[in-house]
Amino acid sequence: MEKNKPYLKLFVSGFVSAFLYCLLFVYEKEVMEAFTRIDGLYPALPVLTALVFSFAHGAFTGYFWDVMGIRARRGKGGG
Amino acid sequence: MEQVAIQFVDLTLPNVVFLLLVGFIGGLVSGFIGSGGAFVLTPAMMSIGVSGVIAVASNICHKFPKALVGAYKRYKFGHVDIKLGLVMAVSAAVGVWIGADIQQHIKLSYGEAGSGLYVSSAFVIVLSIVGGFVLRDALIIYRSGNMHAEEQTSRLARWVQSIEIPGTMIHFKTANVRISVLFTVPLGLATGILAATIAVGGFIGVPGMMYVLGVSGLVASATELVIAFVMGLGGTIKYALHGLVDIRLALILLAGSLFGVQLGAIGTTFVKPYVIKVVMAAIMLIVAVSRALVIPVYLAQLGKMSLSVKTMALLKDVSFLFMIAALLTGALIIVGAMIRGHRESVPEPEPQQPALK
Repeated sequence: MEKNKPYLKLFVSGFVSAFLYCLLFVYEKEVMEAFTRIDGLYPALPVLTALVFSFAHGAFTGYFWDVMGIRARRGKGGG
Repeated sequence: MEQVAIQFVDLTLPNVVFLLLVGFIGGLVSGFIGSGGAFVLTPAMMSIGVSGVIAVASNICHKFPKALVGAYKRYKFGHVDIKLGLVMAVSAAVGVWIGADIQQHIKLSYGEAGSGLYVSSAFVIVLSIVGGFVLRDALIIYRSGNMHAEEQTSRLARWVQSIEIPGTMIHFKTANVRISVLFTVPLGLATGILAATIAVGGFIGVPGMMYVLGVSGLVASATELVIAFVMGLGGTIKYALHGLVDIRLALILLAGSLFGVQLGAIGTTFVKPYVIKVVMAAIMLIVAVSRALVIPVYLAQLGKMSLSVKTMALLKDVSFLFMIAALLTGALIIVGAMIRGHRESVPEPEPQQPALK
């Protein structure tokens, strides 16, 4: 295992992301009921949830490509 | 927007896998050219039984977090001009509002088929002209053999940059241009109107930033992600207020698309700048063909020509296949260019020195 690759970060963010997706599908019925309500602050739920998932899963996918060895070239790109 | 009787689909494993894959490819294209994917994701969801309005709402709810992650990634590479993105986004938001109003008016006057004809015609006209122009530019760069050179600023952009209108001038640091906000406003409006019409404002926004404002392809495609984030957030709030977002669909798409958007963003640092233009042109022109195929269907529904039910169904199926082909073509060019770029960046191994005895 290469030491400079973020294996621990990949594991932690992957766990958080998987946990959130498990919650979504274990409580699917309750989630769908709450997330389609249009009273009070309920319409904020889809927006906030999408943001939370983007942070957790976004971190995981970033570390995933890093661990796979697919990293950006230095500089501003463009070959 | 009227409240509708909401029917949410039951998700099966094949449907989930299908959405993950489409999400991944859509994300890959978005991370690379700043937009794209939305035109396939909505019909893809509808193909598994999701109603049109729920598909649009769920797609837009997945779009803004995807754009956020893509924009953040490309910001780290120095590609994003946040100020330009926000200035464009403000007028694009107004454009979405105008575009939605036009859509509503056409739907009320000419019905569902009239609305479909308007959307498809907009696709064909805009994408053929802009896609053709972008392809021509990419070919000129390719034939010049100078693919690593800084992109040439178009004559129109040079003129736009030369106009000084006191009190309206803004310097966009990353894009490295100083232009009057009076030029960004119509561009943002057009981006928003197109986004409300064909779901992909970037097909105007990115070429507009490149050829009208004189921004490089790398910065334009990355800055488009900021615009997509703002428009996507606004759209999600609008649909959530009507309880139309299927959060499961949005998050499944997001699960695939975040892998894609990160890979697409990384890809921009591997390829020659003109490849962004090639991908964009290829997708735009194939999508134009796809939408041209369904125009006779809408004309038949409006009673302007006659077609059998079987022919109409066939044209719709072939059109959908062309849409998928557009996305796959874009993804293949990106992956191919990344592999070539990666090979070119890996230094040749040093020849082994013969061991001294």
